[in-house]
Amino acid sequence: MSKTILIVDDSASLRQVVRIALTNAGYAVIEAEDGKDALGKLDGTKIHLIISDVNMPIMDGIEFLKNVKTHANYKFTPVIMLTTEGGEAKKLQGQQAGARAWVVKPFKPEQLLNAVSKLVMA
Amino acid sequence: MDEQMLQARQAFIEEARDLLQAMETILLQAEEGQCDTEAINALFRSAHTIKGSAGLFGLDAIVAFTHTLENVLENVRAGTQTLDASLASLLLNCADHLGNLVELATQLRGEDTDITVDAATAETGKALQAELSRYLNTPSPSTPPPSSRVAEAAPPVEKIAKDTVEADTWHISLRFGTEVFRHGMDPLCFVSYLSEVGELKQVSTLIDAMPSAAEMDPESCYLGFEIDLHSTATKETIESVFDFVREDCAIRIIPPYSELQTYVRLIEELSEDALQIGEILVRGGALTPNELANALAAQAQQGEARQLIGELLVNEGIAAKEVVQAALEKQKVNTTKKISETKFLKVAADRLDSLINLVGELVIAGATTAALASKDGNAALQESTNVLSRLVEEIRDSALRMRMVPIGETFSRFPRVVRDVSRELGKDIELKISGGETELDKSMVEHIGDPLMHLVRNAIDHGIEPSAKRIAAGKPATGTLHLNAFHDSGSVVLEVRDDGGGLDRNRIRTKAIERGLITDDVVLADRDLLRLIFEPGFSTAAEVTNLSGRGVGMDVVKRNIEAMRGTIELESAENVGTTIRLRLPLTLAIIDGFVISVGKAYFITPLEMVMECLELKGVASDSHYLNLRGEVLPFVRLRELFELEGEPSRHENVVVVRCGGQKAGIVVDVLHGEAQTVIKPLPSLFRKLRGIGGSTILGSGEVALILDVMALIELAVTTDTRTRLTCNE
Repeated sequence: MSKTILIVDDSASLRQVVRIALTNAGYAVIEAEDGKDALGKLDGTKIHLIISDVNMPIMDGIEFLKNVKTHANYKFTPVIMLTTEGGEAKKLQGQQAGARAWVVKPFKPEQLLNAVSKLVMA
Repeated sequence: MDEQMLQARQAFIEEARDLLQAMETILLQAEEGQCDTEAINALFRSAHTIKGSAGLFGLDAIVAFTHTLENVLENVRAGTQTLDASLASLLLNCADHLGNLVELATQLRGEDTDITVDAATAETGKALQAELSRYLNTPSPSTPPPSSRVAEAAPPVEKIAKDTVEADTWHISLRFGTEVFRHGMDPLCFVSYLSEVGELKQVSTLIDAMPSAAEMDPESCYLGFEIDLHSTATKETIESVFDFVREDCAIRIIPPYSELQTYVRLIEELSEDALQIGEILVRGGALTPNELANALAAQAQQGEARQLIGELLVNEGIAAKEVVQAALEKQKVNTTKKISETKFLKVAADRLDSLINLVGELVIAGATTAALASKDGNAALQESTNVLSRLVEEIRDSALRMRMVPIGETFSRFPRVVRDVSRELGKDIELKISGGETELDKSMVEHIGDPLMHLVRNAIDHGIEPSAKRIAAGKPATGTLHLNAFHDSGSVVLEVRDDGGGLDRNRIRTKAIERGLITDDVVLADRDLLRLIFEPGFSTAAEVTNLSGRGVGMDVVKRNIEAMRGTIELESAENVGTTIRLRLPLTLAIIDGFVISVGKAYFITPLEMVMECLELKGVASDSHYLNLRGEVLPFVRLRELFELEGEPSRHENVVVVRCGGQKAGIVVDVLHGEAQTVIKPLPSLFRKLRGIGGSTILGSGEVALILDVMALIELAVTTDTRTRLTCNE
């Protein structure tokens, strides 16, 4: 059975590119457009990896991460945070919230896939 | 090839020449049995650098030849091959061949990439390579390396030797932190990802940190892994696998043994920037930036009693001791290089020449202004032009000083010449060099090499006797040749002194009569007799050897030296030796001159040769010498010599000049005083004029001729001799 990845980003086009890349690599993809939307998707289905943007409306990535870490079913789920070059302050907040995997935007699909394969067993 | 590459190639050629010169110096020492580890390392590095850079420019012929040479030197460096006299001699020949190849590269045009080696050169190269490979364990005569750009291939490190299987794997120690699961990380996942960068040879799981079941927290991680990985990736690539767990995991990545050698090599190859020790290690690939950052943080935490970063890296097992050692060496070399580098600035010679030209014009323009100011009588203006002239004088001196280079560079090629020539002749000769730091004008240095070479060869060939003859004469068997340079009253003196048999007066005389240079009834002063060897077509060697030619040398030497406004002096004593002294002006461009005039004609004599000036009194009009405080001083009258019009003035003056240990007087009408003089060479039509060395333009716009004082002194002295001879008859 293919592994499921949740992609959280407010940009539909970005989600689209990520979806194409991940689907081609054999993953199942669930999309969410912000933190709150994403929390709603955490309904008990097995999710192997979460890829989340930091800066989003309604609920940002940091807040979302904090919620994930308290969620009984999902607190061990690996999370990749998508950050920008200069987002040091945000990165620090993310680290405190327990984020360890970072991919800097703009990235190439291969870079993301590379990071994904470090966190999800083939 | 674009302009930048062409320039870079030119720089390579110059660099290669310097390196070859350095190699030669070391090899000559090695032949004498004086060669330490540092010298051997330098030897290896030189070959290595030449090979690396030649590869960059696609000069494959050079790369191929240097490859074998480098292998032999590698063995010498490793101590498996001793650098004895015969190997040193072979290596000298190799350096020569390499020099030839490099010179071929100078003939390359823009679009050419590799040099074309003619058959003879190629043959020499093959023969040398065959000889070299005898010093190698592997019997393959030539193993040309791939024509890849050797120096470019920095990070994807290739293995040097794959001697043992065990030593050829990376060893990775992982100790995961307890929080790793809670951060969403799966340790197993990283281990399995490692197979993306290499082949997992062995993975052992360490469970010694695991607490008893009662204390164990199932959400915490207590595991560690010891992993052997076979991989061609760099340390940084391997480390990047663990990017996401770095904060929750202690990682040590220990490179394979062969990799250590690669690090050491890469570190040695680094550019010459002055770097911190950590930076050097990172550049060499032995340390990743993260490891460095962590180590620096650890060092900072140690507070007062902190370890040196190198020690810390070794103690913590982050970097191997030999790699850190290599980096420390590199740092030392870089620092010293930096210091010596800041002292020099390479400037194109033509830029300096144009500066000197401009300064020359400035001197003339300044003199004109000064002349006008003094005519005008405006005191303030005169004052300011005085200041101006002083500044111009200083500018002139520092501009000229820029072109001064030490003669040592020219001298440094003679050890080789003396070795080769004395071997060929079977003579035992020791060369002593002193005064190498004496400076003279760059343009002079360029022209002095050939005359010096002639003199040195002559001294070895004709001067110094064979050992047997020396012993019979009660002299040490080893002959001594001394090259010396020093400054003397505004000129540079270069001396070639041998302790040989000295010039044979009788033979010179016989030869000169034979050649029709003198008639057999002429009585010559010793000095004049010796000077006969400078006459064209004169040779005293009973047998002609192929070394010192057929007696064409000495007159050519004399002509070359005179073309530089220099003089040549000769001293020789039977059985004691011969000394030849070349006296050269410090510069060819601008001098301090002393202005004198006869009628309307202005002349200049170099100020440093002027001893004193006096009024010509109580001397008969046809006399050519005067009594200078009890000393006989021969003199020439310029009016007479140059057949100038007009009657001598009532008060004639004598300028007493000295050059090369001789004194004479020059009789003129008026003394004008000193002036900076920009030497303008005479057109070729007037070059042969005796007594005139050049011309210049005075501040007033008048043209003045620069007197060739040495020639005038000779004229005065010979006139004097002639007078005496007439008296005798």
